[in-house]
Parts: sequence; structure tokens; C-alpha cells
Amino acid sequence: MSVTAMSVPTQPGVRDQVSAEEWQIRVDLAALYRLVAEEGMTDLAATHISARVPGPEDHFLINPYGLMYEEVTASNLVKVDMHGEKVMESPFPVNPAGFTIHSAVHMARPDVQCVVHTHTAAGMAFASVEAEVLPISQTSMYFWGRTGYHAWEGISTNLDERDRIVRDLGTNRALILHNHGLLVAGPTIPAAWVMIFQLERVCKTQLEAMAAAKASGRDLALIPADVAEKTAKGFDQTLQNAADGKTNFDWEAHLRALDEIDDSYRH
Amino acid sequence: MPATAVDTVPSLKDKVSPEEWQTRVELAAFYRLVAQHGWDDLVGTHISARVPGTDGKEFLLNPYGLLFDEITASSLVRLDFDGNLLHESAYPVNAAGFTIHSSVLAGRPDVECAAHTHTVAGMALSAVEGTLRPVHQKALRFYNALAYHPYEGIADDPDECARLQRDLGDHDAMVLENHGLLTCGRNIRSTWALLYNLEKCCAVQVALEAAGDGIIELSDDIKQNTYQQFQRTLKNNQSGGSKLDGWESSLRLLKKQDPSFLH
Repeated sequence: MSVTAMSVPTQPGVRDQVSAEEWQIRVDLAALYRLVAEEGMTDLAATHISARVPGPEDHFLINPYGLMYEEVTASNLVKVDMHGEKVMESPFPVNPAGFTIHSAVHMARPDVQCVVHTHTAAGMAFASVEAEVLPISQTSMYFWGRTGYHAWEGISTNLDERDRIVRDLGTNRALILHNHGLLVAGPTIPAAWVMIFQLERVCKTQLEAMAAAKASGRDLALIPADVAEKTAKGFDQTLQNAADGKTNFDWEAHLRALDEIDDSYRH
Repeated sequence: MPATAVDTVPSLKDKVSPEEWQTRVELAAFYRLVAQHGWDDLVGTHISARVPGTDGKEFLLNPYGLLFDEITASSLVRLDFDGNLLHESAYPVNAAGFTIHSSVLAGRPDVECAAHTHTVAGMALSAVEGTLRPVHQKALRFYNALAYHPYEGIADDPDECARLQRDLGDHDAMVLENHGLLTCGRNIRSTWALLYNLEKCCAVQVALEAAGDGIIELSDDIKQNTYQQFQRTLKNNQSGGSKLDGWESSLRLLKKQDPSFLH
């Protein structure tokens, strides 16, 4: 059963004002907001997902601030510059402070198309313990040795923090924001979806494994380094393939699932 | 649209003031949101709101016996602080719910809405000695600003009112030890956001305490400054009526999914 877009605050006309390429990015980014909502990884109307718009301008798309992720659509995404200032008319506000982390990553990492930041319970719990991602499951190898850690400096109002975020992320694909939450930097929007979905599961799995190990007095079973590295290199290749346009992680299947629930994100 | 038990309840839309109707709609929405998140407890626990235009002397509570996803604007019951039902209703009021909610609303004239839950994460946190640990951004909203009330059995003893009021003090969130969570606020939307955030803090703490010996502690400066930042945002929201918390968006989404709460 498909629900129409009638009650969602769309911005008719935007489609005609942007390139076909940008419109496609808008549809995919709106879909990513909906997928994150479907997975229960939202925090009311807080946190953001951003995507770079093609072209030399350093323009980005971000959510209209104040809408729940379930109301984000292709046309109501707001186009901003690196300072979070609107570069295309929109009746919706944006949250420039919230965009600081995102712009830091986008400006330092041209290989990154999409940045996802979450405040999930498992993500915040993982980010508040002195643990790094351990090689304890196949899935964890997506992030083992490929994750940065950033000390929390309080709610970000200090633009200097950008430099430290960039330093701590380095060439990694994920950043654990200590005492705060999670961030992934994906080469494409579908890759960013897979990455945030898997990082969330990595955090949940490791927290549960740590709790079980602590309660039982037994050790975590670590995958031997050579096996871990081989597996991790496989995931590196998968993400390289995404960057090269050779895989989109069956993105159409995710869109079909969304269309069954509510296809208004396409408007 | 699923039929609900309250299709038989006559609509009060044209029988109450527009302000009372708006409060009823938003309070019914609050019940639906709690149900959607799985934070309900069958027909147990309550959310209350003061009726506008009654000098703060009357409030709305759920019709006892309905599931949260059946509650509608018209089926909410209107009470005074002596426990008198002020209009006909096919449903009774729960004594423990009345005790807790009348205590909070009577003791705190600045508060318009109060919410109480029995979630697993909330009960688990409330069953461990100690307090909410100020170790992440969200928990700092409650830094030195969370009340605790010891359990005395089912809250049907009117004498507990004074102790509930004393323990709550001027805070807007309280852990009911061995029992659950309570939040209260200047309006319905802020009480929902508080409950959402406190619930998440409980889920975080249960997970990190189970897993970790090495919890990353924060400096006193960061803790104080972050708490103050939250307070400033709160003051701005109260004076300006923030539209950035997602509340209007949540109401539209509820309406799209199941508009029966508007009845």
C-alpha cells in the first residue's frame, strides 16, 4: 500500500530548478533519511545527513530543520554552502551549528559524497566507553582499523573543532564522536547507508559481547590479525567498487521497500 | 482506518473551547507517540495535561482501560484535583495515576503536562543504585537536574503526594525508583521531548554500564557548560515557541498514519 505525498511539506518547482543529476541525489538522500528513520536511528528532529552536490561550487544538501526524517523529501532538502548558509531559496530553516561537523568532513575529504551522523542509544553508549572497534565479527571488519576517535569538546560552537575533527577522521571511513554519537563518511549515498546500518550493528554487537564477557569472566574471542586484515581488505574493495560506480549495494531494493511504505520521499 | 473502542464516544470538538480541544488533540497524540515507540505498558501509566481556561484547576487524563493507541481527543477524561470526574465517561480513572499526576500538576503551577512510563530501560535504570551518569551530551540535559523518588508501593496513598512534590522540587524530570520515569513541562511538546531524551539516556546507561569498565568521564567545565547551553535553548524555546523540535511534523505523520486520535 502506497501513501501519497499530500500531507508532506514538499517544495514544488525545485525539480525544474536543478540539474537531473542533483535531482537524483536529492531522491537518494531523501530515501536515506527515510531508511534511517525506518531503522529507528533518529533523534526526534536532531542530527543530520548531508550529501555533496556535483559541481565545483562546494554545495551540499541537508535536511529542513524541524522536520522529522519521515517528512524529508527530494524537494524540501535545503542546498547550503560550507558555512551552512542557504544558496537556494527555501522556506525551511537550517541548523548551521549542526552542519559544522559535516562541512569539516566534506571540505577535507573530496572522496566523500555523504556524511551520516546519529545519536542512537547503542552509538552513544559505545561512544562513551574507552573501547575501539574490535575484530570480533565479520561485520566489525568493515570498521576495524578504519575508524577514528574524536574527543568531545562540548556542544560545538567553536569552528576550530573542524581541524581536530579532520585530524581525527584522517583517511578513515567512520568517526566515533566520544560522549556524543557516530559518524560515517561514505563514497556514495548507498554506501553511506550500508555503513551507518553496519556501524550501528557493530556497536550493539560489541557492547553485548563486552557485557557477556564481563559477566562470565571469559575473554572476547578476537579474530587473528591476518584473517582480520584479509576480511577488512575485502570490505575496502567493496567500498572502492562503490566509489568507482561498480556497485550500488542493490539500492533499488531499498527504494522498493520504501515505496511500499511511503513513496513521498520522491517528491 | 482501524476501528477503535472510542468510535462510540461522542465528539467533544464543538462542546469545548478551541484551546481545550487543541490540548486534547496534542495529549492524545502524545499517547499515540508513546505507543508507537513501544513505551506503553498495556493500559498502565498515564500522561496528563492541564485544561486551559480553568485557572489551572482541572486536568485531562486517559480513560482507564483503553490501550494508548486507542486514545482519542474526545475520550480523555477531565478531572479536578479532588478527583471529581467533570463530565460523563464510560471509563473510570485509575487511582494511582490520579495520585501521581495530581501531585505534580497541583504542586507545580508552572507545569502544563506530566508524563510517566514503565519502560524496560527506565525501570532497569531505576532499579540500580546510583544516578544518571553525566557522560554524554544527552545526559547533560539532566546534569544535577534529575530528581529521584523512593518506591512506596502502588501510589494509591494520598499521603505520598507531599513526598512526590518534595522529591520533584523544581526539576522537570524524575526517576521513580524501582518503578519508572516521569517528566513534566511548560507544554505538551516539551514534555514529550524530555521523556524521549530521558528514555534514551536510560537505554544508553544500561548498555554502557553492562559493557564497560572504562567509561570516558567528562570535565566539570564541559558538564556545566553543556547543561547551561541546554538551559539557554530551553528558555529560547519557551519564549519563542520553537518549531524546530519536530512536534508539528510528528502530528502530521500521526495524522497520515492513523487520524483516529483526532476524534
